[in-house]
Amino acid sequence: MRSDPDLAHAAAQGNEAAFAELVRRHQGKVRGMARRLAGSEATGDDIAQVTFLTAWQKISTYAGGTFSAWICTICWREFLQWRRRQKLEIEFDETAEIIPFDRSADQNEMRMDLTRALETLSEAQRVCVVLCVATGLTHQEAADVTGWPLGTVKSHVLRGVALLRTRLENANVA
Amino acid sequence: MREQDAYKDLSDLFRVEDNALPAEPFTRQVMHGVRKQKMMRRFVVGSLGFTGAGIAALQLPALLGEWVGVDKTVTQALTTAPTELSTAAVNQLSAAAMSNPMWLAIAAGAALCVFAVSAFERA
Repeated sequence: MRSDPDLAHAAAQGNEAAFAELVRRHQGKVRGMARRLAGSEATGDDIAQVTFLTAWQKISTYAGGTFSAWICTICWREFLQWRRRQKLEIEFDETAEIIPFDRSADQNEMRMDLTRALETLSEAQRVCVVLCVATGLTHQEAADVTGWPLGTVKSHVLRGVALLRTRLENANVA
Repeated sequence: MREQDAYKDLSDLFRVEDNALPAEPFTRQVMHGVRKQKMMRRFVVGSLGFTGAGIAALQLPALLGEWVGVDKTVTQALTTAPTELSTAAVNQLSAAAMSNPMWLAIAAGAALCVFAVSAFERA
């Protein structure tokens, strides 16, 4: 199986099949991230699509390293742009307002629990939990993606994970 | 212990969700967008290129006209240059000889040397 950097190199030469393989490999992660950040499946998929189109345009700037971190950085920027367009100016701190999720299409029960639990976190905690726990970035990568200090990311992940566990346990008990 | 190991159970839950998303329709949609973008780019670059080529082609007659003029001047200058140079040299030499006959003797000596060398070279 070809590695991500190999595929990215081929895509940079104009190989569409190589890029399609990269999309196939990373679409789940990117769509999951965008859906959880935006709080809506449809919007999340739109952001993910724009993310991959931007990645195609900028594929020659990918200079090795973790492809996941690179594509997640693009996804984060696209999410911020979408938010700017939505004019939702919310401060990224622990006292931030919680954005309600649009969960009309949710069916799966566990998914519902996860989504609900995620929804109860402050936005900064949710962003850090989505990047580190759901998307699998390291704390350092998440700090690079968001531009937040490493200590802040670590503390948001720690608190967010603890809260998420409590909510999920409560949901299971109920 | 890696930092991710502390919440591996939660990461697995999220991964199950992400893996359940059907990849093919989304990939097809993205690749359709990529092809559309590529075609649009080709169209823009192609039309700009053709416009540039058209503008350049329109300038060509004027450019050729100028070039013929330049060409004529250069050819004329090159043809007349040896004649003018030799005339000027003879004039200079005779002027120098008239002012001082010693120059004439030097020139004759030099010419004799050149003639002798070239005669022996040919032999």
